[in-house]
Amino acid sequence: MSFSHVAATILLVTGVVLELFAVLGLVVMRDVYDRLHYVGLAGYGALLIGISILVRESWSLIGDKTLATGAVLALIGPVLVHTTTRSFRTRERGDWADGIEQELEQP
Amino acid sequence: MNEWEIAAAVIAAAILPCLGVCLFSSVLSALVALEVTGTLASTALMLLSEGFHRQPFVDLALAFAFLSMMGAFAFARLMERDL
Repeated sequence: MSFSHVAATILLVTGVVLELFAVLGLVVMRDVYDRLHYVGLAGYGALLIGISILVRESWSLIGDKTLATGAVLALIGPVLVHTTTRSFRTRERGDWADGIEQELEQP
Repeated sequence: MNEWEIAAAVIAAAILPCLGVCLFSSVLSALVALEVTGTLASTALMLLSEGFHRQPFVDLALAFAFLSMMGAFAFARLMERDL
């Protein structure tokens, strides 16, 4: 078993475990704002899996595009979480910035 | 069955709890579950293209990653007032 095979397998298992943790967090958390944190985590699992395929296949058609897919998911995930949070606050309060000063002053 | 197909099966199975969150909790949590599911599905497509040694299939994963994110942005925007 070569080094790249071992490295790819470790990256693959770690990526899958990260994604399973994201699903676990999504299911276990009660508040929607707590659940939102796990969208970003799932993206990093996808990035690790993309890197594992790149390590296995080296720079090729599939290696490049799985890295690109993992990078897209890892980078857009946090932006999506932020956008979704603003939308939820706008839905609940009419304006997402409403009440932020009071929340910041709370201990 | 190689390790990539096994990983794809595990991740595809992990979509079921997300479906449960969609069905049994609030509409806001359903959107969050949709976002996680988008990531899981494109990851499963990546793994299947590697597991089946069909390199061109990886385009599906890349396209799905973009489209699922854009879809989630659209839902988030509409859920401010309209949905």
